[in-house]
Amino acid sequence: MLQINNLHANVGDKPILKGLTLSLNAGEIHAIMGPNGAGKSTLGYVLSGRPGYEVTEGSVTFNGQDLLALEPHERAAAGLFLGFQYPVEIPGVSNVQFLREALNAQRKYRGEAPLTGGEFLKVAREQAGALGMDMDMLKRPVNVGFSGGEKKRNEMVQMGIIDPALAILDETDSGLDIDALRTVGDGINRIMRKPDKAVLLITHYQRLLDYVKPDFVHVLADGRITRTGGADLALELERDGYKELAA
Amino acid sequence: MSAPTRHNEAWRYSDIAAVEAAWPLPAPERIIVPAGGTFARTIIQDSGLIHQLDIAIGKGATAAIHVLNIGGEYGRVELNVTLHEKADFTLGAVQIGGATQTLEVITTVTHAEPGATSSQIVRSVLAGTATGTYLGKVAVARDAQQTDSVQSVKAMLLDRSATANAKPELEIYADDVKCAHGCAIGELDAMGLFYLQARGITPAEAKKLMLQAFVAGVFEGAADEEALTEAALAKLGDLV
Amino acid sequence: MTDDIEIKDKAAWDAAEKVADYEHGWSSDIETDFAPKGLNEDTVRFISAKKNEPEWMLEWRLKAFAMWKTMEAPDWAKLNVPPIDYQDAYYYAAPKAKPKLNSLDEVDPEILRVYEKLGIPIAEQKLLAGVEGGEDGGLPQRRVAVDAVFDSVSVATTFRAELERAGVIFRSISEAIKEYPDLVRKYLGKIVPMHDNYFATLNCAVFSDGTFVYIPEGVRCPMELSTYFRINAENTGQFERTLIVADKGSYVSYLEGCTAPMRDENQLHAAVVELVALDDAEIKYSTVQNWYPGDAEGKGGIYNFVTKRALCQGRNSKVSWTQVETGSAVTWKYPSCVLNGENSVGEFYSVAVTNNHQQADTGTKMIHNGKGSRSTIVSKGISAGHSNNTYRGLVRVAPNAEGVRNFTQCDSLLLGSLSGAHTVPYIEVRNPSAQIEHEATTSKISDDQMFYAMARGLNAEEAVALIVNGFAKEVLQQLPMEFAVEAQKLLGISLEGSVG
Repeated sequence: MLQINNLHANVGDKPILKGLTLSLNAGEIHAIMGPNGAGKSTLGYVLSGRPGYEVTEGSVTFNGQDLLALEPHERAAAGLFLGFQYPVEIPGVSNVQFLREALNAQRKYRGEAPLTGGEFLKVAREQAGALGMDMDMLKRPVNVGFSGGEKKRNEMVQMGIIDPALAILDETDSGLDIDALRTVGDGINRIMRKPDKAVLLITHYQRLLDYVKPDFVHVLADGRITRTGGADLALELERDGYKELAA
Repeated sequence: MSAPTRHNEAWRYSDIAAVEAAWPLPAPERIIVPAGGTFARTIIQDSGLIHQLDIAIGKGATAAIHVLNIGGEYGRVELNVTLHEKADFTLGAVQIGGATQTLEVITTVTHAEPGATSSQIVRSVLAGTATGTYLGKVAVARDAQQTDSVQSVKAMLLDRSATANAKPELEIYADDVKCAHGCAIGELDAMGLFYLQARGITPAEAKKLMLQAFVAGVFEGAADEEALTEAALAKLGDLV
Repeated sequence: MTDDIEIKDKAAWDAAEKVADYEHGWSSDIETDFAPKGLNEDTVRFISAKKNEPEWMLEWRLKAFAMWKTMEAPDWAKLNVPPIDYQDAYYYAAPKAKPKLNSLDEVDPEILRVYEKLGIPIAEQKLLAGVEGGEDGGLPQRRVAVDAVFDSVSVATTFRAELERAGVIFRSISEAIKEYPDLVRKYLGKIVPMHDNYFATLNCAVFSDGTFVYIPEGVRCPMELSTYFRINAENTGQFERTLIVADKGSYVSYLEGCTAPMRDENQLHAAVVELVALDDAEIKYSTVQNWYPGDAEGKGGIYNFVTKRALCQGRNSKVSWTQVETGSAVTWKYPSCVLNGENSVGEFYSVAVTNNHQQADTGTKMIHNGKGSRSTIVSKGISAGHSNNTYRGLVRVAPNAEGVRNFTQCDSLLLGSLSGAHTVPYIEVRNPSAQIEHEATTSKISDDQMFYAMARGLNAEEAVALIVNGFAKEVLQQLPMEFAVEAQKLLGISLEGSVG
């Protein structure tokens, strides 16, 4: 589904990714772990096309398409979803309006008919309910006044509604208490653990991996994948730390 | 009296030719809100007019003005407000201009007596070579203790050579007051735009949504809040 | 009063009061060489001749004088200034000093005594006395070169030799006109044009003396440069002219401090300060202004109409203005930065205190023409007594100036309910990528704060001084260290009598 080949990227003038190669197939969940500053978040931003993150070398194909040639909204429409580490607050725009516009923009791009208000609300209610979020929150402005945990939960609700093929989840576990962690973990499994979908979990700690069991774990250090293994690798990392591994 | 020039503080950024054409102006509309009374007015300036209102707000009375300043080559809304004891004044104004428009909101809010409160929120969105100006003076008289006044002024420029001018002015002669103003001029938050686009929203729509967010809340409490918001969004849609 | 000294004699009491009113309120008797009273072309010629100026300088002055006669004094400031009779003043007064001075030993001991009274920091006095370094084993003594402007003529310059070794030119402007005419002509009147404003034009015509500094490419000025201004002669207007040029990659810190003796007549001061910073150059300009503010009834005091402007012409150039304004009856002063250079930086840090009947209308202009230029404005206004204190500022962003940043913070503190605190910020932005933020607050010292400080043993005035110093801290900490100490004391002194 996703092939990243020898990816180099700069933020400003600073090289962050230095030849990263990674492949994800449909039906797989991958976790990328690594020390702070290794380039984990940069990878998420580069894949979703954040301005200011410049690819200097390498290629990324997503379902046969050159991902890097697409605008951020086209990547979303193509089925890529980035769960933000710090979801942005947008006062004055309700979650419902935001998500409906987003979903219908993607559908339009794919040549599908837009959802009516009723159809959309049905989907939204289902997804919010499954993640323990009430409709009042959906009516509130996007992320405004939400706690850290609520913002992350809101990201999952959005993922459920948009129903992407590939989710890149950037530190989705940070700022969550144990109950919220379980809810979010269940959400990821329910929405994304399907034969035609894939997930790239970007995380510093392995605790989310107790709930979402990865098929592969990669270590990202100094802009490159330095090691790949199964779910056990995460536990090993937790026990020994990144320093041991980098050495 | 002859038409003002740019040397006149209250007209320093005005479209002087348009002002001269409109000169002499009719006397300002006088509004007296009696003690304990309430007053509300919505001004939709969509045809290039100069609105001038003198508002005296009596003891314990309240007045709320909502302004949408969007139309004509030159549009000006000028409010001269006097607050008596414990009176309250709120202004929510949005001006949206494109092409060669010149739009202005000019206010003088005088706290003449103690305990009055005033709040002004002004949001401007300017495209093309449009000019948007807010000149807002809050004057607190010698004995007007316990004055509480805020001005929140923000402007967003969509094009190079669009102009935003602001002068949030304070003139304070009493010491037990809370007067604050904040003014920010800038461009749309890049992270917000990216967040919207990462959810599949096109750049133009994302811009429009961000602008909607920018003017959100200004019309809160207006009787015709929805109509105002819709008119504002329609004008924003034209600009993006 | 809780003084334990009992003063029975009324006259003695009055005299004591008078002295206490204004610490620097005395005048020394140095013979003065006056230009005839009044202002006409002959006055201009007299000044120029007195200074042996070249012809081009005289022509320049005369041109300015002709221009000035057609101009009107600005009236837009929130100041109430009675009409000034420009014919009723002397425009030139020079202390009768020896014709040429090579070292401080040759300076009139009376003048040196004046500096001592002014409380020039000990370290500096040692330096002035030729004592190098500090033997007390404390902090390493900072070195300060002083170009003393006594009334209108620079009488002595210290450390000239060492500065010259570094290539730094530090001269009175009259010397520089003769010694470095090309350098002076290149920049004089280029930052503040002759026609800039009424007071600047007047200064062009009659400026008496001032300072010229040139820091060559790549040189970090080995010491802080300092000028002490004093207005000493009765009825003498003081028209200083300062020009500082920082060539590529150079750095200089310049200190300007002022006090003036007590006079009943209003004294006019109209200085012009021009700064130029080329590529990667930095100028830090600090001022403590403590001229005679007039008495408690508003009688007397200095009229201070100053034009200060910096041209940040080079890439990455930086100019930082810091001012502590506690003196003068009227202050009209807007140290500004024209930010032409790419990524150039302008800063303005100001504390302005007004008490009794003082009036201050002061602020800054940040004109952003260069891409990526940034500016910071922090203004703290403190109003007490019957005074009025206005911040007036302009932030302007040109259409082609991408990525401009400005942050402005204007805070006013009111002491007592008879003063006024005003904020008049102009913001004009023509480029969408600019980020401009302006915040202003107005407050008073709360009863809780006072009670808390007094419960810890401070009296009312000490408590006010403490709280005011806290209020102004952000600005004070921008000052060089001994200046900061002096400034802190000044804030307290300036506000004496404002509580209770």
